[in-house]
Amino acid sequence: MPDLTDRKKTVLEIRDYSKSYGEGKKAADNVSLTVESGDIYGFIGHNGAGKSTTIRAVAGVLDFTEGEIYIDGHSVKEEPMECKKVTAYIPDNPDLYENLTGIQYLNFVADVFDIDAEVRHEKIMKYADMFGITDSLGDMIGSYSHGMKQKAAIISALIHDPKLLILDEPFVGLDPKASFTLKEIMRDMCRQGSAIFFSTHVLDVAEKLCNKVAIIRQGRIIASGTMEDITEGHSLEETFLEADHE
Amino acid sequence: MNNSILLLKTLLLSTSQRNIFRYCKDKKKRRKIIGGFIGAGLLYLMLMAFCVLMCIGYGMTGIIEAVPVMCALTISALAFMFTLFKTNGYLFNFREYDMLMSLPFEPRTVAAGKFMYMYVKSLPWYLSISLAMLIGYGAYAHPGVLVYPEWVILSLFIPVIPMLISAFLGFLTARISAGFRKTNIIQTVITMAFVIFCFSLRFIIEDLFRNDKVQSTLEKSMELSGSAADMYLPAGWFSDAVIRQNAAAGLLLIGVSCVLFAVVFAVVGSSYMKINSALRSHAASGKYRMSAQKKRSVVSAVAFKEYKRMTGSSAYMVNGMMGEILAVLLGILTLLIGFERIVGAVTQNAPFDYAILQPAIPFIIYFFIGMVATTACSPSLEGRNYWIIQSLPIEKKDLYKGKMLFNMYLAVPAMAFATLCMCISAGVPLLDSILYLILGFSLCAFSTAWGCVCGIKHMRLDWENEIEVIKQSPAVAIYMLPNMFVVMGLTVLVVFLGIRTDHRLLAAAFILITTVLAVLSYVRVMKLSRRG
Repeated sequence: MPDLTDRKKTVLEIRDYSKSYGEGKKAADNVSLTVESGDIYGFIGHNGAGKSTTIRAVAGVLDFTEGEIYIDGHSVKEEPMECKKVTAYIPDNPDLYENLTGIQYLNFVADVFDIDAEVRHEKIMKYADMFGITDSLGDMIGSYSHGMKQKAAIISALIHDPKLLILDEPFVGLDPKASFTLKEIMRDMCRQGSAIFFSTHVLDVAEKLCNKVAIIRQGRIIASGTMEDITEGHSLEETFLEADHE
Repeated sequence: MNNSILLLKTLLLSTSQRNIFRYCKDKKKRRKIIGGFIGAGLLYLMLMAFCVLMCIGYGMTGIIEAVPVMCALTISALAFMFTLFKTNGYLFNFREYDMLMSLPFEPRTVAAGKFMYMYVKSLPWYLSISLAMLIGYGAYAHPGVLVYPEWVILSLFIPVIPMLISAFLGFLTARISAGFRKTNIIQTVITMAFVIFCFSLRFIIEDLFRNDKVQSTLEKSMELSGSAADMYLPAGWFSDAVIRQNAAAGLLLIGVSCVLFAVVFAVVGSSYMKINSALRSHAASGKYRMSAQKKRSVVSAVAFKEYKRMTGSSAYMVNGMMGEILAVLLGILTLLIGFERIVGAVTQNAPFDYAILQPAIPFIIYFFIGMVATTACSPSLEGRNYWIIQSLPIEKKDLYKGKMLFNMYLAVPAMAFATLCMCISAGVPLLDSILYLILGFSLCAFSTAWGCVCGIKHMRLDWENEIEVIKQSPAVAIYMLPNMFVVMGLTVLVVFLGIRTDHRLLAAAFILITTVLAVLSYVRVMKLSRRG
């Protein structure tokens, strides 16, 4: 579990967020939650429950009209650039530029965040070594496996030391070693004061990794809080299934 | 580095064939890239030769001063049309939208970066037209030395204004369709309406000019270009700048291009995210009730899949169905206005018996319908979904048969309708009409099978944006360009032969030739499908 001895600061606040797709059907309905520095916040729910819709709105890629989302005190709607500068987002199926080499893509992202040459070199080396893809950085992304693309996307997300890391199903496609490495990185980031907000279907992972969790069903948050408060001594799987049947 | 430049640089690098060649280890792919470069080089040479020859014609008839306006108008028209077809897919609703928008880029920067990417990618075509015309103009007009750099610099700005107008129309289309549930269909309908309006505009303008009753062809050409320059001011500014050395006109072209760029992207940027959110998000009704399902053969199932693939993409629909829509419209127009009036409008009421054009009816229709065969791009459109086909027990021949069947479903009804309309309007005898229908059918079969040969031989699955394979792929270029030129040549030939030969005999001969070509192409498809 992350070390939460530091003074906590709200990194992400979702307030009454709703999103409709045609004919008034709400993909997200009045969602509210708060993620603080040092939190590893798990967002769990069925397929189509509204996880990705919420996550994409937080990442600033999905337009919304109802509710407010604040990242590090900045409104996603009003100050999107300020929010994106301190955020990194990894979608469930990252669409990277297939005709760039891994290193070309990472340099592109580092350029966007204006990272010094030495710093980016050090970071890319560090994370590429951790994920074991250093030798492949000179190959075209198109030749990468799904897992390698996922690793490249994760490295690109870590280059600028984000205050908030948003991940949509990050463990899908990763090999066991890479999954372990990612979990270690997530814990380490939280120790440094960053926050992580991620969706997952793997309840065991969420239970071991997260200190907070929210369960979403049909666009509505049906339970949220610290892992202890939510599970009340049961497993997360039991809690989830029970909440889902209510 | 400025974020816009960084984005543009990355977008260009991500689709750069040079970059792929440098880092790709697949020898076959590298050979294809070299072949692509040679093919593109040949097309550039053909285009430039055509432009130089046109200028020589202008020079020999003493109207060389019309060349700058012609150059500006040609580039502007091409830039406008090509951008209109590409806006959706490049500017909106592109694959890496989530990745780019999650980075600290202003929406305006992303939209402008995508526009600049379209501009830079198409610039070599426009510049090759412009430089070729400059060579022709220089040889006959003997302008001062300064005209050359001035021409080249201003050529960079000629496509900007029409591209911006087109992109803005694309933006409006996307903005309107974003408000509907069936965004793709609405977007396609509006885009097609714009394209048809632009085609008809050309005839309206020509008609206006014709009413001037200008007698001399030479005077008329000068008049035409002058009037066109008055109507489309940027062409006039370019012409003034290079012919009269009017620096203010040149500066005006540059200034207006820059200001318009800033204004358009301020407006587009303001609702860019909203439009893309609507275009990329699909409403899920969740109200489906399981009903009786229909069993299809493998070939029909593939054809149905192709149908859904097309209706799911407005870029595919607009490009793939445009020929059929134009053919149907031509048929309706012919029926309403009359064959003779339509021919009269095209031939400027030239004094000849229009009945001699009757044998060309199937080729006129085919000019539109054969413009694009979906089979030329559909193998490539499988893209990263190709694994689905590969992992299923579908034989390649069935896959291609399905793709060909879909194109026939699309082409044959439009061909039959347009041919019947034209035959009725032109008073073609029944037996001749039947023969024209059969000829039209065999032309459709040839176009379908030949398109499939091109599509398989130049299949490209690793595209970033579907427009790359729908509009710009070697498969489409190799299918479309010779096809269009050959059809134009055949139209002239069939009219020429029709004067001397019996129309039925001529139609029967062409049915035989096109059927043989269709069968040969089909056999080639089957052979290619066995190769894997």
